[in-house]
Amino acid sequence: MSKQYDVVVIGGGHNGLVNAAYLARAGKKVLVLERRHVLGGAAVTEEVFPGFKFSVCSYVVSLLRPEIIRELDLPRHGLEILPLDGTFTPMPNGDYLWRMNDHARTRREIARHSKLDAEAYDEYGKAMIEMAHFVKPIMSMTPPDPTSLKPKGLKDLAFLGKRFRNLPAEDKYNQVQLMTMSAVDFLDQWFETDVLKATMSASGIIGTFLGVRSPGTAYVLLHHYMGEIDGAFRSWGLSRGGTGAISNSIADAAREAGAEIRMEAPIEKITVKNGRATGVVLSNGDEIECDVVSSSVDPRLTFMKMIGEEHLPGDFTDDLKRYKYRGSSGKVNLALDGLPDFKSLPGPGAHLRGAVSISPSVDYMERAYDEAKYGRFSRRPYIDMVIPSLTDPSVAPPGQHVMSCFVQYAPYNLKEGNWDDKREEFGDTVIDTIAEHAPNIKSLIRHRQVLTPLDLEREFGLSEGNIFQGELTLEQLFFLRPAPGWAQYRTPIRSLYMCGSATHPGGGIMGAPGRNAAMKLLADWKRGRV
Amino acid sequence: MEGFDLECGNSVAAFQSADGVSALQRMAYDIIIIGGGHNGLVTACYLAKAGLKTLVLERRDVVGGQAVTEEIHPGFRCSTVAHSAGPLSAQVVSDLNLTNNGLQLITPDVRVLSLGADDRSLCLYNKAGRTVSEIERFSSKDAGKYEEFVTSFQRIGRVLAPLASMTPPSIDQPTPNDVWNIGKVGLAFRGLGKKDEFRLLRWGPMAVADLAAEWFETELLRATIAARGIFGAFAGPWSAGTSLGLLWQAALDGNAIAPAAFVKGGMGGVTQSLVASATAAGAEIRTGVEVSRIEAGGKISLKKKSEILEARAVVSNADPRTTFLQLIDPVNLDPNFLLKTRNYRAHGTVAKVNMALSRLPSFNGVDSVEKLSGRIHVGPDTDYLERAFDAAKYGEWSSEPHMEITIPTISDPTLAPDGQHVMSIHVQFAPYKLKSGDWNSRREEFADNVLAVLSRYSPDLTNSIIARQVITPLDLETTYGLSGGHINHGEQALDQFFTFRPLIGWAQYRTPLQRLYLCGAGTHPGGGVTAMNGANAAREILKDIKAKKI
Repeated sequence: MSKQYDVVVIGGGHNGLVNAAYLARAGKKVLVLERRHVLGGAAVTEEVFPGFKFSVCSYVVSLLRPEIIRELDLPRHGLEILPLDGTFTPMPNGDYLWRMNDHARTRREIARHSKLDAEAYDEYGKAMIEMAHFVKPIMSMTPPDPTSLKPKGLKDLAFLGKRFRNLPAEDKYNQVQLMTMSAVDFLDQWFETDVLKATMSASGIIGTFLGVRSPGTAYVLLHHYMGEIDGAFRSWGLSRGGTGAISNSIADAAREAGAEIRMEAPIEKITVKNGRATGVVLSNGDEIECDVVSSSVDPRLTFMKMIGEEHLPGDFTDDLKRYKYRGSSGKVNLALDGLPDFKSLPGPGAHLRGAVSISPSVDYMERAYDEAKYGRFSRRPYIDMVIPSLTDPSVAPPGQHVMSCFVQYAPYNLKEGNWDDKREEFGDTVIDTIAEHAPNIKSLIRHRQVLTPLDLEREFGLSEGNIFQGELTLEQLFFLRPAPGWAQYRTPIRSLYMCGSATHPGGGIMGAPGRNAAMKLLADWKRGRV
Repeated sequence: MEGFDLECGNSVAAFQSADGVSALQRMAYDIIIIGGGHNGLVTACYLAKAGLKTLVLERRDVVGGQAVTEEIHPGFRCSTVAHSAGPLSAQVVSDLNLTNNGLQLITPDVRVLSLGADDRSLCLYNKAGRTVSEIERFSSKDAGKYEEFVTSFQRIGRVLAPLASMTPPSIDQPTPNDVWNIGKVGLAFRGLGKKDEFRLLRWGPMAVADLAAEWFETELLRATIAARGIFGAFAGPWSAGTSLGLLWQAALDGNAIAPAAFVKGGMGGVTQSLVASATAAGAEIRTGVEVSRIEAGGKISLKKKSEILEARAVVSNADPRTTFLQLIDPVNLDPNFLLKTRNYRAHGTVAKVNMALSRLPSFNGVDSVEKLSGRIHVGPDTDYLERAFDAAKYGEWSSEPHMEITIPTISDPTLAPDGQHVMSIHVQFAPYKLKSGDWNSRREEFADNVLAVLSRYSPDLTNSIIARQVITPLDLETTYGLSGGHINHGEQALDQFFTFRPLIGWAQYRTPLQRLYLCGAGTHPGGGVTAMNGANAAREILKDIKAKKI
C-alpha cells in the first residue's frame, strides 16, 4: 500500500493548523485529524446556548505571531482582530483602576492613585518594550541543545550570549530581573499602588501553578508588551466571531494550500515500526499511513497514550513523567440578559469593553494561590472577564451578551472531593465573587457553562487541564521544553514531530510552535533526515 | 564599567569643617576593614599576610559578627546567631593555618534528626549506609534511591564548587582570566554527561519541593531536603528557584544533606582562630569602634571619636544596604546605583531562640542521645514548611514554625556547666516587618509560641529551661548590624546571585567608589560561614594593588 499522506497532523488546534498550513504550502500532502466536531482546540468558538457564541476556552488574542498573519494571509481568510479596550479593576473600597489603551488617559488614571506611579509607568513601558524586542527573536528560534558540541548548537548559544552582552547595562539588569524574579518583587521596584501591582502581576500567573510572589512570574509581564496585532505593539484584541474564528481562518489557509482536514476523527494510536512513526490508527479502526506524524497534542497524550512506553527510551519517559501540567485555571462562560453594573463605576460604559479584572490587591492574589497550594479552589479567585458581545454583536442575540470569565485558581488535584461534584460549587464561588463587585450579575444569568480543569482535560484533551500543555516555568522553557534534549520539535521516535504548546515557545494563541516545528521538519526533510 | 572617583578635595574640607574633626591621620594603614565578622577577618588575614598594614574595626565589643559565641546566662555559652560552620572553605582553613590557631571542628556522625509529627523520627548520618537502613524504615523505594541522590549531588557539586572560589566574571568586559575560568567550568559541565548536565539546568530554577518529590516519596525526608533550599530565605519550598539554594549549599560542601559542623567553643571558635591568625600576620583589630561614614578616596570617619582614618583601600564587611545607604553620603553615589541598592532585597525571615538548659530534654520517639547530637529538624512535611512561609508573606510569624535546632553541648560539654546544656533554635519564618505590633513588644510572645510548638516534640523541655535569649530580625539589625535582619546580607535568589550579587556589574568586590571594596555575604558566594567572600575579595584587592590601581 502506498503512503496516502506525507504528513498526518494530530489535533486541529491552532498550532496543528498552523503547522499543517506551512507544510501544505511547502508542497506536502497533509492530513489534519481532529478528535472533536469542531476545529480550534482551545481556540474555539461554540454555540453552547442557542444564540450565544462562546470563546469557550481561550478568549483574547495578543501573541499571534505577525509573521503568521502575514505569511498565511489570515485577514483574507476571515481573520479580523477587534481592539480590547484596556483593563478595568474594581476595588472593594468603591474605587477602581482603569487602564486604557490610550496612554495619556491611563497615565492620568494612575496619577489619581499615585503621581509617582504615573511617571514610573512611562519609564516602565519603555523598558518593557526594549525587553520585548530582545526576547522577540527567541520566540521564533529552535532552542539550541546546550549539552551538544555541534557547531550549530554552540553558535546559537553564543548568539544568545552575545545578544545579552550587547544590551545596554540598564536593559541587562532588567532582563535578568524579568527572567528570575516574581512579578510582585519586580513591580515593587517600579510602583507603589497596590492595586496596580496586583492587576499587572495577574498576567504573570495565568495558566501556571504559581502565585504573584513566586519567582519566575515576572517574565510573563513581557507578554503584554509583545502582543503585536497588525503591527500595533502591545494591544490586546478579540477575534470577530470569537477565538474559533482565528482557528477557522488558519484552517482556511491550510485547505487552500491543499491540506485535508477531518473532524470527529479521534486517534487511537501512532504506529511505530523500527523506531519510526509510520502512520496512525483511528478509533474506528481506520489506518492511515504517512511519512511523518506531527503531533500538536501534549506529550502525555502523544507518548503515553498513542505510542506507549515500550517504544520509548527509559530516560525519556522519566522526563515525560516529570513534566508538570498541574492545571490551575477554570472557565465560566455566561449568557447574560444585560450588562453587569459595577458598584465602583455604575452603568454601561467603555470600561466594560475591555477586560474586567478581579485582582483588587496583591494579598488577595496571593491568598487565592495559597488555597490552591493545599488542594482547594480559591474561595475568592482571580477572575479576568471580557464581554465580547459589546465589541462584536454577532456573538449574542440583540441586547443580550456573552461574558467570558477566566478563573484562577482551580487546581486539577483537589484535596477533598472531585471536580464532578464540585463543579457547581466552583461556579457559584465565581458568581459570588463577581457579585461582590457587580451585584446585579446574578439576575442577568440565562445560562452558565462551568469548565473545571477536569473538563478541560476531558473535552479539550489538555492533560490535567493545563491550558498551555504544561507549565510555563523556567525549568520547562526553551531548551527544556518539553523534555531535556528534545526541545527541537523532534522526538526519540524518528519521523514523529511535536508542534503544540508543549514545545518552545509555549502556550497562548501564538502559533509559533506550529510554525517553528514546520520549519524544522521541512529543513530535516530537505537534508533527508526524516 | 567605570568607577566614579569622587575624591574631590572639597568633600574632605567640607567634612572637616562640618564635624570639627581635630586629627586627620594620614595613611597610618594600607587597609581598613569595616566589620569584624568572619569574612572581614579572613580578608584581614590574607592582606596582612601579604604585608599590608591592616586594621579591622568592629562596632561591637566582640568580634565575630554572626559567627560568635556569647554567654547567654552565667556559665552558658552559645553560638548566638549561626550555629553550624558549614561549609567552611578547606582552602582558607589551610591558607590561614586556622587549625594551629585554635580552630577545632567537631563533626558528629549524625547530620540531622528530623522529628515526625507522629513521633517517628528520621535520622540521617554522614555514612550513607547507615542512612539507607534508616530510610528503609520509611520506604524501601526511597532507600534504594538515596545513594544515587547523594552521588548525583556530589558530581554536580564538584562542577559548581570552583565557582564559589572565583570572582564572578564581568559580563561587559570579561578579562582573559574570566574567560579562562568560565571555560574551565564549562568544560567541567560538559564532563558531567548529558543526564547530569540537564539535571543541573533544570534544577536551578525549580521549586525545591518539586526536586525533593522527584527523588523521594517519604514526606519527612522530602521536607528535610527542602528545608536546606529555604534556609534563611524569604521563600517557601514551593517557591520557584529554591532548588538553587540547595544546589549551591551542596556545591559548597559536596553534600546534599548538610552535615552538622560544630566548632569547639562555639562558632566564635572560628572567628577567634581568625583573630589569632590575623594578629600573628600583623593586623590590628579594634572593637567597640563604629564607623559613621565612608568618604571618597579611602577615608572613613568614626562615630563619637571625631577621627578620620585613611587607607589605600577600605573594605566593607557590612551588607550592601548598610554600606551604600547608611555609611555613604548619597551625593557620592550615582542615583541609579542607589535606586538599585534600595531595590536589593533583604527582608530577613529568621529569628533565634537560645536557651540555657538544666538537663538534656528528651524527644518523643528518640531513643538515643547520639541522635540529638547533630542538627534537629522540625518541619514534618513540605506543606508544613510552605504554610510556615505563608505567614511571612502577610507580615506574620509562623504559628507553626520551621526550626533547626542544635544542642552543641552534647559534643562540646565545655559550653555549659557539668550536665547542663545549651540549645540553639533557628526559627523560620519571622518576617522583619510585622503587620501588627513590633518586634520589641512581641519578642516574648514569639518565643512562647516557638516553645509551645517544640514542646509537642519534647514535652519536658520547658521544665529544663534556665534562661532564654530571643533574637528577633530587628535584633539582628540593631545588635548585629544586618540590614533588614537578613542573615545572608540579602536574598540569595537567582537575580541576586553570582555575577548579579549584589548587583549586576558590581559582582567583583569593587564598588562605584574607588578604593572601597566589599567582602561580606552580600557578595559572591553569598551567606553561610564559608570564608570565601573574604578570600575572594582579598584576592581582588591584591590584584588592584599590584596593578597600582590603588
